[in-house]
Amino acid sequence: MLGKFPATHAALLGFIFAVSAFITWSAVSASSSLNNLVVVAPVAAVIALLLVVLVAKAIREANASSETSQQSGLWGDLLLLSGFALFCFALTKLGFDVATFLFVWGGIALSGEKSLWKPPLFSALFTIFLVKGFGSLFPYPMLTMVL
Amino acid sequence: MIDQLAFSQALDLLFTDFAPWMWVIPGLLIGLIFGSIPGLQISMAMAVFLPITFGMDFLQAMLFLTAIFTGGAYGGGVTAILMNIPGSSSSIATAFDGYPMARQGKHNEALGLGLAASVVGAFIGYVLLLLLIDPLAAFVLKIGPIEMVVVVLWGLTLIATLNDSSLPKGLIAGFLGLILSQIGMSTTGIMRTTVGNPHLLDGIPVVPAMIGIFAASELLRLRSGSYLVQDKTQRDISIKKILKGGAETFRHPGVLIRGSLIGALIGAIPGVGSSVANLVSYGEARRTSKTPEAFGKGAPDGVIAAESANSSSEGGSMTALLALGIPGGAATAVLLAAFSFHNIIGGPSFIRNQTEIVYSIILGNIGQVVLLAVIGLLMLRVLGMVVRVPLSYLVPSVLAMCAWGGYGITGTIAGPLTVAAFAGLGWLMRCNDYPVAAAVIGLLLGRMMEGELVRTLQISGGEPFRYLLERPIALILFIIMLLVLGGAPLLKALGKRKKNAT
Repeated sequence: MLGKFPATHAALLGFIFAVSAFITWSAVSASSSLNNLVVVAPVAAVIALLLVVLVAKAIREANASSETSQQSGLWGDLLLLSGFALFCFALTKLGFDVATFLFVWGGIALSGEKSLWKPPLFSALFTIFLVKGFGSLFPYPMLTMVL
Repeated sequence: MIDQLAFSQALDLLFTDFAPWMWVIPGLLIGLIFGSIPGLQISMAMAVFLPITFGMDFLQAMLFLTAIFTGGAYGGGVTAILMNIPGSSSSIATAFDGYPMARQGKHNEALGLGLAASVVGAFIGYVLLLLLIDPLAAFVLKIGPIEMVVVVLWGLTLIATLNDSSLPKGLIAGFLGLILSQIGMSTTGIMRTTVGNPHLLDGIPVVPAMIGIFAASELLRLRSGSYLVQDKTQRDISIKKILKGGAETFRHPGVLIRGSLIGALIGAIPGVGSSVANLVSYGEARRTSKTPEAFGKGAPDGVIAAESANSSSEGGSMTALLALGIPGGAATAVLLAAFSFHNIIGGPSFIRNQTEIVYSIILGNIGQVVLLAVIGLLMLRVLGMVVRVPLSYLVPSVLAMCAWGGYGITGTIAGPLTVAAFAGLGWLMRCNDYPVAAAVIGLLLGRMMEGELVRTLQISGGEPFRYLLERPIALILFIIMLLVLGGAPLLKALGKRKKNAT
């Protein structure tokens, strides 16, 4: 039965449950005064109710449907998403310029560009534009390795 | 209502010398650019360019800074339409129908609709300010936390209508946003979870979260396509079609005027402003429409309602600044700083003693709105070229800009990481037909809601309903909200029953 329950849906509902439970527990532990729980308590109660409705509905739909949900492109999306998370983390480690250059190059290649020279050239020009243009408007210091 | 002598003096100040207008076009351009890049805020643009106003006279400085404000309000809508990336929280609702229009190859028409609605909305907002500055100021003074609660509640009701596939999915997305807004220190100083991360002390940074959940997750979905607009023949940027879209705006006068009035009224409330105005206006347009099912799929009414409201709220937000000397938001706070640089204090005495300056600021802004139509039209040719860029290049480039934008907001790694985390959440939600916009609305309004509710509880001594009965503005707003929420579906149901009976 649960084999037909889409993995991404189960992951989302699990995430909503875990986050709501953790925030509610944390808020109640911090203080059980009305002022502290005025939003948390009713919202958590509604989420719990909605989760029951959605899980029941999803299981019913999974039983009714004989086809498995389309998962094509899922791994490609996950790869790009992981690359993006890594890029965000690397910005202050590798430097904004190097991280951006590598991510844009890799992203273009992953999106199906066949040319060998266009992606690195575009990526280099785009990185220079970002560092010298966009970055110069930031009121904060920005780590760069090359530029 | 208008002091005629001061009005003629204001016209004299504005039109006998070119100097006040010299910085308006650069200001509009700066605003359009900052507004259209996610992560660059209008208030940031105004703060960055504030020092160059030292050498200007007061009127020139005000027109320059408000030109940035005006340009930015529209700039945010451009990327919302073309790439589903709202440049700021005031353009969230623009993306709901603007982006589907762009995907259908109607990007020119959508940009035209947005531009015309912005111009008319800002025009109406400033005309109302000119005519009603005194009564509006009195209205603003009577606004307390309970009135804010009602307005924020009104904004939150939009969550219920944003259901792509089912009502429980729309609701849970909105409530997820609400509970996520409760991370960090509460408004009463109680420390709730920060997951051990000091960057979360003030809660989740909303703009990076919005960039991640809207933009990054959408870009991941686009990855497999070739261009934003699939049909090659529709990828052109046509001034003719933009103008056609602009003319189309005037075929929806009800939506346009209602959106502008909602924007001006909500914009006048300090701390609420354009981010709520565009949501309330969109929700009202959808509720009162004869074809609510068309919303979210590229309905022109949705773009008009959102853009007219966020632009007219600019005029509203100037009410508190000019009449009371209090800033309603970050952008008007920068304007207040410009006031102090020139030794001017906003408030009743400013209006009483320097009426001609107040009028010239308002009239100058009305003039700016006309210039926005021209500058916006010219800039759209450049900004609209994004539809000609292959997605294999566009997706990684804009993703990189999203992460940079996150850093631009927070100045720490917390910004890009928030973008990445919410990109993942948005991707999961989109995979399963959950409306990501509802989560953003919850996140945006949750903290505001909590603060106002706590203040209401404290002021009312724990009896908010009794207190509501003592507050005529809140009560009227509450009744209007209930009538609007319950009345429209009731009338429709009655109409259907009558039709069936005949």
